[in-house]
Amino acid sequence: MQGRIAIGELVLAAFFVALGLLWVWTAARMPLWQGFAPQSGFMPLWYGITLIGLTAAVVVNLFIGKEPTKEEPIGKPLLVLAAFAAGIAGLEPMGFGPAMFLMLLFMFVFIERLSIIPSLLVSVTTTAVLFLIFRTWLKVTLPIGPLGF
Amino acid sequence: MGPLADLMQGFMTAATPMNLLMCFAGVLLGQIIGVLPGIGPSAAIALLLPLTYGASPTGAIIMFAGLYYGAQYGGTLTSVLINVPGESSSVMTSIDGYKMATQGRGGVALGIAAIGSFIAGTFGTVGLMLLAPPLAKVALAFGPPEYCMLVLLGLTALAAVGGSVLKGLAAGVAGLLLGTIGIDPQIGVPRFYFGQSWLLDGVDFIILTVALFGIGEVLASCYTSKADPILNVGRVVPNREEWGHAWKAILRGTGIGFIIGVLPAAGATIASFVSYIVEKKIAKDPSRFGRGAIEGVAGPEASNNAASAGAMVPMFALGVPGSGTTAVMLGALIMFGLRPGPEMFTTNSALVWAVIASMYIGNFLLLIMNLPLAGLFARLLQIRYSWIYPPILAICVTGVISHANNVEDAWVMLGFGVVGWLMKRYDWPAAPMVLGLVLGPLFENTLRQSLTLSHGSGMIFLSRPIAAILLLIALLAVLVPPALEMIRQRRALA
Repeated sequence: MQGRIAIGELVLAAFFVALGLLWVWTAARMPLWQGFAPQSGFMPLWYGITLIGLTAAVVVNLFIGKEPTKEEPIGKPLLVLAAFAAGIAGLEPMGFGPAMFLMLLFMFVFIERLSIIPSLLVSVTTTAVLFLIFRTWLKVTLPIGPLGF
Repeated sequence: MGPLADLMQGFMTAATPMNLLMCFAGVLLGQIIGVLPGIGPSAAIALLLPLTYGASPTGAIIMFAGLYYGAQYGGTLTSVLINVPGESSSVMTSIDGYKMATQGRGGVALGIAAIGSFIAGTFGTVGLMLLAPPLAKVALAFGPPEYCMLVLLGLTALAAVGGSVLKGLAAGVAGLLLGTIGIDPQIGVPRFYFGQSWLLDGVDFIILTVALFGIGEVLASCYTSKADPILNVGRVVPNREEWGHAWKAILRGTGIGFIIGVLPAAGATIASFVSYIVEKKIAKDPSRFGRGAIEGVAGPEASNNAASAGAMVPMFALGVPGSGTTAVMLGALIMFGLRPGPEMFTTNSALVWAVIASMYIGNFLLLIMNLPLAGLFARLLQIRYSWIYPPILAICVTGVISHANNVEDAWVMLGFGVVGWLMKRYDWPAAPMVLGLVLGPLFENTLRQSLTLSHGSGMIFLSRPIAAILLLIALLAVLVPPALEMIRQRRALA
């Protein structure tokens, strides 16, 4: 798919501009200068202004650019992102083990359409290896659910 | 002690069983990461950081350095066997390397790449050994204005390496901006934490790195299908005639690569490109290039490996990284409580020399692994990406929550992962953003100290010669690439 300007890139630019505006707005309410010395708000204010300026220049370049932007389909990345978000959301209520296992299995079987048996094996092995390394070996406190892992 | 005595001491540290194991693990992992799509050396180092908490900083940095140059070679395998460069620095290798593979000479291409990389890596390490200590000695005289301009140079140089300088600069400033979240380093008051106590410690560099390089990369490439590699690599040792063509290209590539690697606004990609052009220009029959010329593989491969060693010079001597991966390594050094920069050679001399010594060992390991095992590594290319990326995501989330035992960090990672995906999709470089976050506090501290010293006058950066020179180089790093691009476009139109 080809378009003059990629919507996704405008979304990214809008994010950077919003970040810059938030910093300018917040920094302007902080002390900027006292005597000879810059204070807490000085650098963040300039970072915000510079980020807005640079992002605006990038956007202007996009509009005057001659080459149309190629857009890859976004359906699959969004599905992967949703599964990943669900996996993170499940960490505390379900525990690390079940949340990661189900996330992996969903990605293999439903997103990638891979065979169920190898998918089950890889999901179990990956989760077990991560649990052994981080929980057993490195003694990291991972979220524990009703099943105890 | 002179450099040789320091190096001997470094060899003694690097040759302990644990450090040798770390070096081997680094080059092996680097090679595998270079071959597999979807995860680069920057994300791999960030993901391995939680595993190295208990290890000594020396062992960890030895492993990361091994991973860095191991990945360079891993990228060569994909260039030669499937015509897909694993790293941008292997783009030039794929031109003649893939042609050689289709002619049944893939093994020779991989063999000469391994030999060239070994020679270049070894000479590059000698260069690093000779150049970094005197450079660090000069930099010891730096005050806040010089340090401030040095950080500015590092940021602008890294921004200039990518395709668009403007996008690189914007990413760098976004990193600086994120670096202000938490406690003001000078006055100690909290700022930009928006009432969330878990933001008082700021955005962790591991979270941002894993998000941008790990999650972003996976989302950007999760529709990659299975590659069709050329598995029959044949013999790997070049014959007399091939060696006759290649050895001079290796030596030239080594020199070109090291010099370009040391320069702040360049890197392994530019080094391999320049080496290829030079080889083609001086060849008796330039028409052989693009049709399987062995010099087209030997020169760029030597060049990108020498550039990796060269990029370590500014990282160790000045605390300014020459590439995205060294930017992440810099963050790792800071995380281990070390201060990269000129003092490294005096305060952490044992670590620096052990890492330099380990690079000789690592290059040798890569050579002995790659000549007999090229065919075996080639088989890794058959693994479908569908099997690879879900475990990468699971490793990312585990690594991040294990860092501070905090699930909120996983949500921050997810958010920046989306930003990383969009950045990757639209060619916004991510490395300047990570570097901005890592060097942000140092930049802010030194700039505020400089302005306090000068009673608020920015002239302090122009009145001190070294600061002024660094500022000039930073400006050139930003202005020269677009100027050259404009000249190129005008010539193309004329």
